[in-house]
Amino acid sequence: MAEAPAQAVGRMRLVESLVLGAAALALTAGVGAVLLLLGGYDPMAAAAAMVRGAFGSWTAFTSITLVRSVPLILTGLAVAFAFRAGVWNIGAEGQLYAGALAAVWVGLQAATLPPLLLLPLVLSASLVAGGLWALVPTLMRLRLGVGEVITTILMNFVGIYLAAYMVHGPLQERRGVFPQTDALPEAGRLPALLPGTALHWGFALSLLLAGALAVALRYSRFGFQLRAVGASPEAASVAGRIDVGRILFVAFLGSGAIAGMAGGVQVSGVTFALYEDLSPGWGYTAIAVALLAGLNPAGVVVTGVLFGALQAGAGAMQRDAGIPASWVGVVEALVILAVLCLDRVRRRVGKEAS
Amino acid sequence: MTSALVRLEGIERRFGAVMALSGADLALRPGEVHGVLGANGAGKSTLFNVLGGLLRPDAGRIEVGGKAVILASPRDAWSHGIGLVHQHFTLVPRLTVLENLALGTRGPGGRPGAVRDAALEVIGRTGLSVPLDEAVEELGVGDRQRVEILKALLRDPRILVLDEPTAVLTPAEAAGLFDLLRDLAGDGRAVALVAHKVDEVLEVSDRLTVLRDGTSVLTCSREETSEAEIVRAMVGDDDVDAAALGLGDRAGPRGVVGQHESRIVAELVGVRVAGRGGSGLDGVDISVRAGEIVGVAGVDGNGQRELAAVLAGRLAPESGTARLPEAVGFISQDRSREGLVADFDLTENVALAFQRKAGFRSGSWLRWEALEGAAEEIRRRHDVQAPSVRTLASSLSGGNQQRVIVGRELEMAGDLLVAENPTRGLDIAAAAFVHEELQRLASDGVAVVLISTDLDEVLTLSHRIMAIARGGLREVEEAHRTRQGVGSLMLGTDDRNG
Repeated sequence: MAEAPAQAVGRMRLVESLVLGAAALALTAGVGAVLLLLGGYDPMAAAAAMVRGAFGSWTAFTSITLVRSVPLILTGLAVAFAFRAGVWNIGAEGQLYAGALAAVWVGLQAATLPPLLLLPLVLSASLVAGGLWALVPTLMRLRLGVGEVITTILMNFVGIYLAAYMVHGPLQERRGVFPQTDALPEAGRLPALLPGTALHWGFALSLLLAGALAVALRYSRFGFQLRAVGASPEAASVAGRIDVGRILFVAFLGSGAIAGMAGGVQVSGVTFALYEDLSPGWGYTAIAVALLAGLNPAGVVVTGVLFGALQAGAGAMQRDAGIPASWVGVVEALVILAVLCLDRVRRRVGKEAS
Repeated sequence: MTSALVRLEGIERRFGAVMALSGADLALRPGEVHGVLGANGAGKSTLFNVLGGLLRPDAGRIEVGGKAVILASPRDAWSHGIGLVHQHFTLVPRLTVLENLALGTRGPGGRPGAVRDAALEVIGRTGLSVPLDEAVEELGVGDRQRVEILKALLRDPRILVLDEPTAVLTPAEAAGLFDLLRDLAGDGRAVALVAHKVDEVLEVSDRLTVLRDGTSVLTCSREETSEAEIVRAMVGDDDVDAAALGLGDRAGPRGVVGQHESRIVAELVGVRVAGRGGSGLDGVDISVRAGEIVGVAGVDGNGQRELAAVLAGRLAPESGTARLPEAVGFISQDRSREGLVADFDLTENVALAFQRKAGFRSGSWLRWEALEGAAEEIRRRHDVQAPSVRTLASSLSGGNQQRVIVGRELEMAGDLLVAENPTRGLDIAAAAFVHEELQRLASDGVAVVLISTDLDEVLTLSHRIMAIARGGLREVEEAHRTRQGVGSLMLGTDDRNG
């Protein structure tokens, strides 16, 4: 039997998660400012450029910030869903690539179908592929007791390089010039959500999914069983007579499917084709998105947009303040560390009260 | 009057809104065994944790040998010669007993054999026998408790503090422990213990302190007091019905009228199960009828866990047949791990079991307003000390956690209730409450299996008694229904003359 993992973050009321999130951001901003100063940059100029790039105009907010938030919200939901069940799915990145690959492949194979059929087919393909990508680590965990942290990370590399191979080889575009696939036909693309912007229906889809997951986790029997397994597999099994293996199976595959859909939505809403480096590491940033949201689906929407803004602002920061965009990666890592530290402090304080 | 080795004065400790200690005093003199009594939530464990350096008091004064000290950590406490034996286990499951003992001893240790020699010396002196080379995860709770005590003794404390050391020991083991504590005190040490039974504490202690609501309400020597006075001090009520607190006669209900006509609710025939850290079950037969309490007495680790798991429908027999009803309630002895989710509130902890009940779900959804009502009902009926049903289980005392579990599982037990050491670690009032509930349930026609290492509990409550030893189950005849009679069967010896 695999060891039961400790919880990522403890139980939080909404207010607590807001306070924790704000505190984590403040801590990150403080440490980040010091790092910028050490690097010889002006933190205030950096912040100003960032805000301008992310929120400076209606176009910047919708076409850049919100568009970038979509894959972050979806992978963030995937991670939050798994973590709530005590499944350490670090493999959202690989599952995203598997989903994108399947979406493009199916979209190109069935290119002649009408939109009403093709679009659902494309997105379903990404769901299924993401779930299947998670199946290997799932079975290794449930049948052999192999910890999923390692296996999901390793499956990421397989997914990333499989996509790279496909765009250089079997699925390369017809002219054989660029390392990318042919573009999806119109019928396989997500329509615009706001006319005149690049924001597509994937954003609405991610909001719907967040709402559905929030309601399911809070009110449904399955959601309750999933939370029970995540909080204490022993009590779930003994006092709840819950089939822990079944819950873990569904949570793991469901998480993979959501992450896969993030890939499908990205190719069908933004890029229309698959290429190398489709994702700048959304599947990893998703962990920060989920943790900062206290693993609450509704909170993931907020933190997803926040990280979308960070990425949108990174470009402006590089342009206007001369700070490398990769600095945003440092910020994301700092957020995770800040959340984990502050949550432990919060739990220690809470424990004193018991 | 001897001066105290340790003196705690006016200790206060607040947890959020709860005042766990509000001016508690405790003085331990060299050469005495000092019993600390109190109802659930009176602050006993908190006070001992302060003494062991696990909790910092908000206010108050701690003196060791007449000098004021600050006990900021267990290390501090040790450096002043204070050794704490926890109520909860602090052992590393994967390591052997010997390795755990080595972890607990001071410094980097000498040669590998040194710890073993020291352990064998203490074992020889005290009779606390434990298998030194067995992994702790293979041991039952009784053995683990002995390892904890052994670990503390290896460091040769001047002041030994034990939180509920007898909760999981057999009567003989408890008596052995008490002899040991007396010997240790005889060497000039101070020994303090919390135990959940008044008669136990009276038997071993030279002096007593009674806590109520975080304050020391009575401190006296054993000769100056009586069981009745102590109970009054604990409960804070002059009008105490001693019988209600389980202090009355222990005659027990022997044989229900009409019992043989009532239907058999659960039946095991020739059930075999491999052991999980102890004996398994080796061809067990048992049948339980509606309305009777069948007590299963035994020393921990003789197959009780497996028997409970099979009866609760959680473990399929490897051979033999198990005929079990639909509606089974199960009170696990491991309440913090298996009974409750610490991070869930009361409603969710009730929902944990009630999500299986028909009236509390509709389709894929749980009926949360109904669940909250049920939780509220359990909180009220079972007098759970919690501000509301939104309170997290982790912020309840052990006794109150058990009230939640008992309340919930009684509702689940439409046909059968399996209770595994249901009063372990509870004070007398809470234990009496659990006993009453079991009896009420049986009189309502539910079959009850009470698996307990507490022989008195089994003798008091059971209509029929069975003894479990090395995975075998034997009915105790009416004539052998005494502590000695059942005790000899528990040990697996067939000494019918004793």
